[in-house]
Order: sequence, then C-alpha cells, then structure tokens
Amino acid sequence: MSEPHSPPQVPESLKKARDAFPILKRTVNGKPIVYLDNAASTQKPQPVIDAISHYYSHENANIHRGVHLLSTEATAAYEAARGKLARYLNANDESEIVFTRGATESINLVAHSFLEPILQPGDEILISCLEHHANIVPWQLLCERTGAQLKVAPIFDNGDLDVDAYLSLMGPRTKLAGLVHVSNAIGTVNPIEVIIEAAKAKDIPILIDAAQSVQHMTVNLQALDCDFLVFSGHKMFMPTGIGALYGKRSRLDQMRPYQGGGDMIAHVTFDKTTFKKPPSRFEAGTPHIAGGIGLAAAIDYIEAIGRDVIHEYESQLITYAADRLKAAPGVRLIGEPTNRSGAVSFVMESAHAHDIGTILDTEGIAIRSGHHCCEPLMGRFGISATARASIALYNTPEDIDALVAGLAKVNQLFG
Amino acid sequence: MNSDLKALYRDTLLKHSRDPRNRGEIEDPDHSACLKNPLCGDQITLYIATRGDRIESARFEAQCCSICMASASMLTFRVEGMTLGESDAFAATLAEAFNQANTPLPLLENDELHALEGVKSFPSRIRCATLPWEALREAISNKQ
Repeated sequence: MSEPHSPPQVPESLKKARDAFPILKRTVNGKPIVYLDNAASTQKPQPVIDAISHYYSHENANIHRGVHLLSTEATAAYEAARGKLARYLNANDESEIVFTRGATESINLVAHSFLEPILQPGDEILISCLEHHANIVPWQLLCERTGAQLKVAPIFDNGDLDVDAYLSLMGPRTKLAGLVHVSNAIGTVNPIEVIIEAAKAKDIPILIDAAQSVQHMTVNLQALDCDFLVFSGHKMFMPTGIGALYGKRSRLDQMRPYQGGGDMIAHVTFDKTTFKKPPSRFEAGTPHIAGGIGLAAAIDYIEAIGRDVIHEYESQLITYAADRLKAAPGVRLIGEPTNRSGAVSFVMESAHAHDIGTILDTEGIAIRSGHHCCEPLMGRFGISATARASIALYNTPEDIDALVAGLAKVNQLFG
Repeated sequence: MNSDLKALYRDTLLKHSRDPRNRGEIEDPDHSACLKNPLCGDQITLYIATRGDRIESARFEAQCCSICMASASMLTFRVEGMTLGESDAFAATLAEAFNQANTPLPLLENDELHALEGVKSFPSRIRCATLPWEALREAISNKQ
C-alpha cells in the first residue's frame, strides 16, 4: 500500500508505455494531452494499429468462404484471435467466445437468444443500481415484451453494492442475474465471486458485465464459472466495433439464433433452415475481421507487459487519484467504494461537471462529464452528472497532478 | 487563461449562472415543457404564463451547467412581452445561428444574449445554450 498522496512508482515495464500510443504525442489546445477518459474508450498502441494496417495491406478477404489464399489467411487470423481471447479469459473452450460489436450487443444477444424464450409473465430479472444503461435497457425492453419484472438491488452511500440485498432478491422467479464487475461511473469493484457462487447454488444463470474489468485485472472464467460475461474491445486498446460474449457452452447450445444471415447456417431451403453450432450460430454476416485481428494484437500487447504488473500499478494510481481529488478544495467524491478500479467520479461546489470538462479541455486534459450512461445511479446520489477521471496503463502520477492543478483553475474561474 | 475560455465564460454569463433570474415554478402555467439533453443529463423545465397571445412571464427550473443556466435566465426576461409566435420565431433563428459557425447571433448590439456568443467556439457545448430555447418552442406547442 502506498501512503496517502504519495505518487506510485511507475514500474519499469510501463515507463515507456506512453511511447507506444502515437495519439498521446499530439497536443490539445497547445498542451500535451492528458488522457483520463479511458473508461469511455482507451487509445490504441502502435502494434494494434500495425496489425490492422497489415491485415488490410496483405490479408484482406472475406472469411469462412473462399478457398483462395487470402481468405484462408484471413480466416486463420480471425479464428486465432478467438483462440487467443479464450486463453486470455481462461474459457474452457474457444467455442464459448462469440464475437460481437461489444458489451451492449452481447447483452442484447443474451436477452434475445437465451432469456426471451424461457421468460414467463411474473418472472424476474435481477440487476444492481450500479449498472450501465447497457445492462438495464435490454432487460427493460424484454420485460415489456414478456411481462417479466426487473428487480434492482440497492447500493450503500459509499457506492458499494448491498450484497445481502442482492442475494435476498435472488428468488424462485429470478431467471437471470446481471451484475457489473466494475462500475464505469464510480469505480466500485463488485464481489462477483460471492454473487456467482450464490447464483449457482440457486441455479440462477448469471451474466457479468466486464466492460471495465478485463483491461485492468485478470478475469479467469474457469475460476469464476459464470454463465455469461461480456466486454467491449475498444475499452482495452482494441478497435471499436469488436467485443465478445462469453457463454458457457451448455448455455450457448440451448440458445436460438440472434440475427439470421450468412455464415450462421448449416443448411438453407425455402422450407426450412438449420443452424451452425455455437459460436457461429450467433455470428451472422461478415464480421469485423480487422477488429478481431486488432483484438489479438492488443492481447499480445497487454500480456507482454503482464496483467499483474498493470493491475498492481493501476490500483495504486487510482488510489492516488482518489486521495488527491478528495483533498482538493471544493471537490466532493461521488462514491468511495471499499474496492476501486479504473475510475473516480467527483463534483465541485463551484462548477457543474460540463464546465469542469470544458475548462480541463483547454488545459489539454480529457475527462468525461455527464451521467456516464448511468442515470439511475446518478439519481441514487441525487445528482444529474459527475466529472470522471479514468485511467489506463499509460497514465502517470503527473497526469493526476495535472488534473488537480486544472481543478484549481476551475475554482479560480467559478469560485 | 485561454482566450476562447475567457470569451466563453464572460462576466454576464457567470453572473446569470451564479444568480439566475426567474428560477422556479409558475403554478398553473399556460404553457410548459421539460426537456433533457440525453447526452449529459441536463434537464430544464420551462413555464410560461400568457395574457392573450403575449408572454406575461417565464420561469424555469433546471439541473444544468453554467451555460444552460445563464441561457435560461436570459431567456426568461428576453421573451417577456413577446407574442408566442414572435418568441417561437426568435428561438428558432437563435438556435439556428448557434449551429452555423459563420452566422452571427441575431441580436441588437446591447442584447445581453451576446454573452453566449463564445459558446460557438465550443461545439460540444452549443446544445447547453440552445436547450432552454428548444424548451421554449416545445412549451409553446404544448398548450396546458
């Protein structure tokens, strides 16, 4: 543990991390960029950019279709990415990885293909107050279609999940439990191991939204043993438009197709169509091949540094950020969770979050201001918006110091 | 300080945002509308009381940033005495001018609304300035 306010040491393997990200060399409003909006989207390292460029320059073709060399190479590269991701997350088998556009599409896929066919009026879907709109709205739409009910477990004032309340809401009619691993808005790390175990004991399928955790910590699917897990690639150094749904093979096998089209069928006649086995059954049409290749390159990049190194350093850096912000004049943290990862949210007495965002931008500092797609959570804290700083492996204690200095300018203007 | 920033947060704007005029509800308004900016969660409710076709008073409630607050505050006295049709047309022209980089705001020289001119250099903040005016147009179309 670092002392409060003492900046963490940047480990040797991360000292040059910033150099790998060409965008971080640019200036914003004449200042070197301080990028603290990583929970929204991370920047891309050169190896990822190179992999995509190499694919379009040397291997581009449609996959699973051609006998020609380019198609064979593209297919191999795309499927290798699936295998790499399965190993990264320690899934049982690479057929448990369904490529999607991201966490949002993954959740919609589970809602449509897994839950809708088994849901009866009066059944329940359980989520928490910490969820992103992506883990609320698909379930609401499903409830409207089926007459099921959405149950929401509360949180404590510090932003921790009320675990007992969540567990007590797992009832005989709960047909799916959904839970965010790490809150994008306030940084709470939920004890998903405890929740998954309880769900398994009650035979309730459970979906984990890992959009804010897979880039910051090791996620071991075989150890967790959840039914579904979703994430978006662009939040972990990958291109936009690629992400994945992990589904236990036994679950995927019983699910109906998501979209219909090419590549997901076994046999088509005008009378009847039969479908491929998972994961192909859920991947209609030409996928984001370059995205998959970029995804593989990002995993290589992360693993070359080491997830433990990244996790250890980022934990210290976000603690440093929270400590510095808490001590900054006129700043109030929103959420002081027991375990924090990635993000810290705050409001200021003198200025609204948007005004904070604009003033910091003129200093070259990028943060997010707004409701972070978590309007119900904002409502829980009695506010409409926060300013949020969120980190990635290339951020430094100096970035946090620049943020705090920027907030002094906010006070100067509005105080 | 950055010169764009100085132009954005002019004294008049800061004065209105710190101490907005006509903040609060009108009981039994003739027109009202609640608008939200889904991008950021800012919310404004605008109330209008009319005598005949003319706006007698306008008030607002809001959870929003300084630009939206100042814009709403200035709106409430700017539209007083206008007919509904005049204020609707003015709101439409103003909102359009905010969104056209080369179109100056359609204002007389001494109009306080000039304080919002700096917003045009910050495209991501234009909606903050126009939200109250959109609420006005929505309210006018909502007869209570």
